Amino acid sequence: MNIPNVDLRNINIPNVNRLIHAYRVAPWRVQRQWLGNVLLVVVAAAMVAALYLNVTSRTAIAGRDIQDLTEAIIASQQVSSDLQTQLAGLTSAASLEERALDMGYRPVESEEVEYLVVPGYVAPAPIDLSTTSLPQLSALTIPPEYNQSLLDWLDESVLSSRGPQ
Amino acid sequence: MRGQYARRSQALAGILLFCALAIVVQMTRIQNSPEADIFRQEAQNYASEWKTFYPNRGEIYDRNGRLLAGQRTVYEIGVDLNTMTDAHAIAFAVSETLDMDYGDMITLLEFPPEGVSYMVLADFVDTKEAQYLQELKQALNAQTPEGVPGGLTGLQFKSHPQRSYPETSLAANILGFVNREGRGYFGVEEKYNDLLAGNPVQVLVSTDPNKANEIPHVPDGTTLILTINRDLQAATEEILDNALEEYGAVEGVIAVMDPQSGEMLAMATSRRMDLNQVWDYGNLYDNATDFDPIISKTYEPGSVIKILTMAAALDSKTVAPGTTYLDTGAIMIGGVTIQNWDRNPWGIQDMVGCLQHSLNVCMVHIASQMGAGTFYSYMDAFGLGHLTGVDMAGEAAGRLKIPGDADWYPVDLGTNAFGQGVAVTPIQMMAAASAIANDGRTVIPHVLYGMVREGRQYNVPAQFGNTPITVETANTLSDMLAISLENESSMALVPGYRISGKTGTAQIPVNGLYDSTETNASFIGWGPTDDPKFMIYVWLEKPTSSPWGSETAAPVFSEVARKTVILLDIPPDSIRQQLVAK
Repeated sequence: MNIPNVDLRNINIPNVNRLIHAYRVAPWRVQRQWLGNVLLVVVAAAMVAALYLNVTSRTAIAGRDIQDLTEAIIASQQVSSDLQTQLAGLTSAASLEERALDMGYRPVESEEVEYLVVPGYVAPAPIDLSTTSLPQLSALTIPPEYNQSLLDWLDESVLSSRGPQ
Repeated sequence: MRGQYARRSQALAGILLFCALAIVVQMTRIQNSPEADIFRQEAQNYASEWKTFYPNRGEIYDRNGRLLAGQRTVYEIGVDLNTMTDAHAIAFAVSETLDMDYGDMITLLEFPPEGVSYMVLADFVDTKEAQYLQELKQALNAQTPEGVPGGLTGLQFKSHPQRSYPETSLAANILGFVNREGRGYFGVEEKYNDLLAGNPVQVLVSTDPNKANEIPHVPDGTTLILTINRDLQAATEEILDNALEEYGAVEGVIAVMDPQSGEMLAMATSRRMDLNQVWDYGNLYDNATDFDPIISKTYEPGSVIKILTMAAALDSKTVAPGTTYLDTGAIMIGGVTIQNWDRNPWGIQDMVGCLQHSLNVCMVHIASQMGAGTFYSYMDAFGLGHLTGVDMAGEAAGRLKIPGDADWYPVDLGTNAFGQGVAVTPIQMMAAASAIANDGRTVIPHVLYGMVREGRQYNVPAQFGNTPITVETANTLSDMLAISLENESSMALVPGYRISGKTGTAQIPVNGLYDSTETNASFIGWGPTDDPKFMIYVWLEKPTSSPWGSETAAPVFSEVARKTVILLDIPPDSIRQQLVAK
């Protein structure tokens, strides 16, 4: 059976075309598109603002914590020095002599001293006050998260994602 | 109807748009107005502030780790005028507790200076007093109803460190002190002030709470470890105090040094201030040289200098230990007759006898034989007239006149040979004599053993000066001095230990003439002779029980030496030789 060759573009469907055009230019549709775009921008801005607020508030809290801890360290060091000095006062030469005399001791006379050689005894060397403790934290050891703004972080992230130039 | 709503909406939108535009325009106008820069500048000024972080002053320890200078907590008591509610209560409480004048304080509180919101009422307040006031403030707050401020509201307490010396006056002359502004005066505190104080760090701190400030690491000042042995220092000071009383001396010093390294082990002076009461300085000392006469007070040493004259004569081969001469009791030099201390002739004497009997005529004789050039070149090499370089503030150089000086006369060669007409400090005398005890090489006396910074300790190596004499000369002279002490059964001898030393008795010049009644009595000695571990110098000024060094300074030397061998664990010669033989 032969099918006739018909050009569909020549088919006249006036009602359908009109409906499609009417749908495209309907004001409510244009308004909805605008509203959707605006809402998208608003939501994105809100998300960024919330993230920024979160980071900055955490940074501020961390900053205050650092300040508090610094003051606490200084106060502890002061107390430690104070106690050390008090202890030195209690064990000063004058205090020890007074306590020894109170306890019935008396200074030894050189004639009463007999020098005994103790095998293996090594006379104490002068004091060594070297410490093996780790050095104090410095500003350089604070992670960047605690002193970096959101923009700084974005900037750094973008730069690092590009790799070395 | 719909058109009417649309017009109203458009009108409202237009108004809102106009308002928004007006705000934007106004904002832009303000941002670019002439006042904007001023406001920006002011905001910038408040955005951050320079804050200075002061390090804690370094501590000072003795060689065994005993704290000699540390920090204690004191308080600044002030009042915040904005929150103060009862000026009378604050004035009463503070003035009563701190023994201050109530009238002055209430006037200050009621009529504060213009523009002041915080005032310091007292500083360097003791912890006990500050705590009492803090408790009083809390108690008053507790008594008042909720929400109502207490009577001492506004009173504030700020703690800060202050230099403290737990041993009070012990080793005061060595340590020096720190004033309330934190500057060191005298001794180690002044000499090492920059090291002890550390470096303050200035940081620009943001006032924005959102910005976490970078905390600078402020290293504490350097901690110092001294060569001083606290127990020996305490014993030496006690012996000196007793000696002043026993021999009726006006003043005195005793110094103990390791002659092989120059480490000062003890330095006792008769005037010692409580370093925690710096305001006493003016009452205790007449001038700066009184603070530590060991390094800063010059005097004519007398016969102790004969060891240097003899060292020069032996080293220059002018004499040998067995060289004899006929002592007639007097000798002429530069037109002046010099006599022995007892004005008697001692007949034929060798060099040991010369030292043993401390014969002035002998010294003049050998100095004349050496000649001024040789004699003064040796004295110069021994360091007379020069600073020793001891690491303490305020050292004096002394004075040694030499040929060519306007005030040098030929007779000075004779008088200088037995210690008159020459001015030295005790530390200078020890540094010079160290050449004899240390194989011919002088040591540079020092009190710093080590420094501790950032947890690491750096020890100070021994430093040496000139080598004015040979090892042979040094050993020969040490032996001669030991024999001379043994021959005269000196009061300086120490049982079990061989000691080398020499007494000194020098008349004191008063208005250009020597006073026959007032003397400087001294003794310098070291031991054990064959391996010296200590050198002790004793100087008693104007002793009244006896003018002679042999009867005053020598027994004091012996007492200090006996204490020293115990505290330094120095075995008697017999045991030491057994140990060496093994």
